[in-house]
Amino acid sequence: MTIKETQEKLRKKEIGLEEFLSQFFSRIKERNKDLNAILTTFEDAKEEMEKINKTLPLYGAVFVVKDNILVKDKRATAGSKMLEHYIAPYDATVVEKIKEKGGLVIGKGNMDEFAMGSSTENSAFGPTRNPYDLERVPGGSSGGCAVAIADNMCNAALGSDTGGSIRQPAAFCGVVGFKPTYGTVSRSGVISMASSFDQVGPFAKCVDDAHLIFEAIAGKDKKDSVTSDIIKKEKKGSIKIGVPKEYFVAGINDDIKKVIMQAIDKIEKSKIEIVEISLPYTEYALPTYEIIMASEVSANMARFDGIRYGLEFDRPFAKTLKEAYLENRGEGLGREVKRRIILGTYALSSGYFDAYYIKAQKVRSLIAEDFRNAFNKVDVIITPTTPTLPFKIGEKIEDPLSMHLSDIFTATANLAGLPAISLPCGKIGNLPVGAQLMADRFYEDILFEVAKKVEKIWKN
Amino acid sequence: MSNLISKKEIERLAYFARIKLEKEELKNAPKEIESILQYIQKLKDINTEEVEPLFHFPELTNIVREDQVEQTGEEIRKKMMKMGKDKDNYLKVESIL
Repeated sequence: MTIKETQEKLRKKEIGLEEFLSQFFSRIKERNKDLNAILTTFEDAKEEMEKINKTLPLYGAVFVVKDNILVKDKRATAGSKMLEHYIAPYDATVVEKIKEKGGLVIGKGNMDEFAMGSSTENSAFGPTRNPYDLERVPGGSSGGCAVAIADNMCNAALGSDTGGSIRQPAAFCGVVGFKPTYGTVSRSGVISMASSFDQVGPFAKCVDDAHLIFEAIAGKDKKDSVTSDIIKKEKKGSIKIGVPKEYFVAGINDDIKKVIMQAIDKIEKSKIEIVEISLPYTEYALPTYEIIMASEVSANMARFDGIRYGLEFDRPFAKTLKEAYLENRGEGLGREVKRRIILGTYALSSGYFDAYYIKAQKVRSLIAEDFRNAFNKVDVIITPTTPTLPFKIGEKIEDPLSMHLSDIFTATANLAGLPAISLPCGKIGNLPVGAQLMADRFYEDILFEVAKKVEKIWKN
Repeated sequence: MSNLISKKEIERLAYFARIKLEKEELKNAPKEIESILQYIQKLKDINTEEVEPLFHFPELTNIVREDQVEQTGEEIRKKMMKMGKDKDNYLKVESIL
């Protein structure tokens, strides 16, 4: 049932409010001990729901919000020991917006620490498990939100996406996940990871719901200085979808390739034009992302020093402030976060800055130009969302490079600031496969139009 | 291939970033960071002499506003103070020098 259908039923009182809400709470109670998708549940949400105006556009949307997004007076851990007891003093702009529009937040989703990871194994509060196979990861970093939607613990969710952290877990859990154009959604009240990539976006059961949630959270915000109200709509005639050949070569699982190719065939049979295109700099995208991301991470993580945040640490051995910082950060931050800070500090240090950071920003220009050229020919680009199926828990945790390769098809949209959506397009055995659609910057309208068509084709 | 980064360099970087590494972390970090560094060497294949870096997207401009003093609620302040060691309404930290 879509959010709009749910709304109708609630308004006509075909479902009772009490009954409607308790289905989510009892699902969480029953399933969360196995899945570990939810870090905090808001028991007071039931009273809130009674006060909500029934005519609002998000009435009936029941959210789980990723734990790096602030909800006033609730805990926000970002999956880190550093923030284990941190209580948010205000609502993030996106949370304010969903509340204003009738949405209800009932809990916070587990995640890789500070959104760094592709499996939700890096959470200080234990890994989240994939509902399709409890031995496998749900993807990450927004794994908790993806699982909450897939397992009916809620019917809407908000995650954040820096290199694929919404789309990759959406693909692994068989749900829809959308990363908006960089600059369309405010990040005020969202704990920063890599600020030139970070975007907040929805998880949903279907493209319609994702679109509805996106419209509720989009828009200029004076508290996030890169936001804008730009919307572009002009089309170049009938819809053309491009298939970039570089996304079907090295590293992709053969079965996934087959499923995606079949899905593309179905689109072509429905009389939508499919064109082969080339994005020549694709193989340089992930190394470029690694450098810029780590650099921005190392700067953003400086605020977590155990004084401004994480005040609860006891530092019996620290005599000076410097020792206190070393102790607090040593104790409070996890392995992956430390690695990325060290790599970023290296890339930004004198003597390496030009060779790594500036070089990567230049290659980023070339990658953006690749997409500009492609969008002169096509309206939307289709690719696999992930190169592999959900992997086993523990399989990649000791090998950071192979873990990072999970983002190989998704990080490009962050580098070029594009809107991109992942939606289910088939299964291999019991495990879901996701396809990714990307459009040019600010062309959300066209992306959603095509995604809705494609979703319908694949469902039939 | 020779190593791009040594254990000693990693220790120095960690110190600059104010991160204490546990014994186990220090043992594994050189290998893990080295593998990512080797991977990103790929970018050296591309000639970028004539290319401008993409620091930000051209459509987006800064939103500027006047500074405004807003009163932080006394309740929030109390909550923050309660989390730390406080003395006479100030937060207490270790000495700087």
